[in-house]
Amino acid sequence: MNFTASYGMFLGDEHELLRRTVRDFAEKEVAPHIRAWDRSGAEHGEGPETRAHIRPILKRMGELGLLGICLPRKYGGAGMDYLALAVVCEELERVDSFLRVVISVHTGLSSLSIFQWGTEEQRQRYLVPQAKGELLAGYGLTEPNSGTDAAAMQATARRDGDDYILNGEKIWISLAEIADTFLVIAKTDPDKGSRGISAFIIERGMPGLSSYSLHGKLGVRAGNTGGLVMQDVRVPAANRLGEEGEGFKIAMAALDNGRYTVAAGATGLIQASLDASLKYAQERHTFGVPIADHQLVKRMISHMVRKLDTSRLLVYRAGWMKNQGQRNTRETTLAKWHATVSSFESADDAIQIHGAYGYSDEYPVERYLRNSRGAIIYEGTRELQELLQADFALGKRINPPLRRELPAYDAEEWES
Amino acid sequence: MHIVVCMKQVPRDNSVKLNADLSINADGIEKIINLFDEYAVEEGIAWNEKHGGKLTVLSLGSADWTEQIRRALAMGATDSLLLSDPAFAGVDTLGSARVVAAAIRKLGDVDLVLTGRNSTDDESGAFAPALARSLGWPQLTYVGKVQDVNPAAKTIVVDRSLEAVIETVSSPLPAVVSVIKDINSPRYPSLLKIKRVAKIDPPVWGAADLGISASDLTPAATLSTRAPAPPRPKGELIAGGDAASKVSALVNKLLENQVI
Repeated sequence: MNFTASYGMFLGDEHELLRRTVRDFAEKEVAPHIRAWDRSGAEHGEGPETRAHIRPILKRMGELGLLGICLPRKYGGAGMDYLALAVVCEELERVDSFLRVVISVHTGLSSLSIFQWGTEEQRQRYLVPQAKGELLAGYGLTEPNSGTDAAAMQATARRDGDDYILNGEKIWISLAEIADTFLVIAKTDPDKGSRGISAFIIERGMPGLSSYSLHGKLGVRAGNTGGLVMQDVRVPAANRLGEEGEGFKIAMAALDNGRYTVAAGATGLIQASLDASLKYAQERHTFGVPIADHQLVKRMISHMVRKLDTSRLLVYRAGWMKNQGQRNTRETTLAKWHATVSSFESADDAIQIHGAYGYSDEYPVERYLRNSRGAIIYEGTRELQELLQADFALGKRINPPLRRELPAYDAEEWES
Repeated sequence: MHIVVCMKQVPRDNSVKLNADLSINADGIEKIINLFDEYAVEEGIAWNEKHGGKLTVLSLGSADWTEQIRRALAMGATDSLLLSDPAFAGVDTLGSARVVAAAIRKLGDVDLVLTGRNSTDDESGAFAPALARSLGWPQLTYVGKVQDVNPAAKTIVVDRSLEAVIETVSSPLPAVVSVIKDINSPRYPSLLKIKRVAKIDPPVWGAADLGISASDLTPAATLSTRAPAPPRPKGELIAGGDAASKVSALVNKLLENQVI
């Protein structure tokens, strides 16, 4: 069955062609190796030596235009819309989460922030090479002592003439050892709480900046996650993104885009669990019939379908709003919460459908479960999303307009 | 230079059903560009990049082939053409060659036709030879490498991968060339082109445009029956006390059946 056939209210023919292209790429160039890559991350840690597969794949993704899919051509992008970003994330995560994590940090958190808040000079210097995949980008907000409570961060950025001096540590940073640039958030005025925070684009190679890899993750083992250490890193003021004191707003706006990619990816993960379950349920026979004939197996499949379609609709609605230039914080966080929790439940059911074989990495479903668990924590925990939705509903959370909103999609302008 | 690539849309796999009238029912199976034709599209794009001019992807099918045609355009074809008509339904290999030949004659300026060695559904492998014959052009089949295309001198040099040898052949243009797997590495559709080609509807020529009459399309052979392959018979489990006795029982069976 074609699960993406009835989305004509959101998607056009170009999205279908894009979906097929990304799916073919991921199936041909990643799927045959993913089990080995995932295992190597577990057995040998995630230092650069075992991550040798990442740069070539990212280079291929850059060549194909996947890293700047929803950016205007004049900024090196493919000129497609925000729904195309969702389609790319779905199809990449369907093969493995590490591919979509790249899009989340590189495109969602970093590139789209530079697109939204950057000066023209910053866009030329960073956005264009990032969109083309010539520079890889990461994002540094989380610290050892602050995740959800981002305003309690301890990294500082002290003004010194035309520069800022950055100090602090960021952790749980995807592509920590691989990215060329990082959008980091630090306190320029520690006394002002969330109003004393600013955003900076820093480059690997700036003296004082070092990175390390984390080991022993439960999932996304084919990727590279680590930390950044900033010791008196001198950053020119020209690298500050937005105004001083705007960093918290920039970080939150970035999450509107990062969360969107996570939600879309989680939808792709539900699709993967469903595809695997449908295949296995028709091949495996017990009591003389395919297990797809047993009602309790049917039940698990039907719930997966329900989660898949609801997640997809929530994601596409948020993408549609981005296309219109509408603020979509509530809709995106709802999609992220629903899709990530659903992807974990679906992977869990997929393992159950596979029986004992689901417990072995001969089949991909155990990897889906391990990968899905992270998304319930990162880019806004499930608990945070639950509180947000209640506060939105109660009118306790208003989104005042931002000084710079994410640009609406404009087909003519973006394709020229 | 004008290169035409003949491209067929086929089901991704052959788990098809049979309709009551013995025709094939591929509903529900994903449709793709015929594998060998995809290599032909890539080869055409490569030579079009080298010599300029037009690369037309031509299909004999129906409107629901448009997605694959757009895919070829997103890969890099410059033009497209769909031959579609109710009269073409059920056309056989010879008939389709006649129809496509009429289209190529109508295009008028074609220097080279590329196509795959066979389709993965009918697998006759006869389309390219029949097309060459209809056009009166040389046919170069099982081509594993196109060494050179010279539009000014109107020549082409290819390597044909035959069973025991590789044969290097030079031929005047225009010619019909059919290619084999791994002649090249087909590129992905360019994401930059996807948005542009998504709105393109290929021009459509029907039987009247081509001057094709019903008699040109009458199948040369009539289909008397079509049946799925018989199911694989259940295997036989060799019984025995221990591994050694089972092995000797198996060896005896293989000898009896003259397998070894």
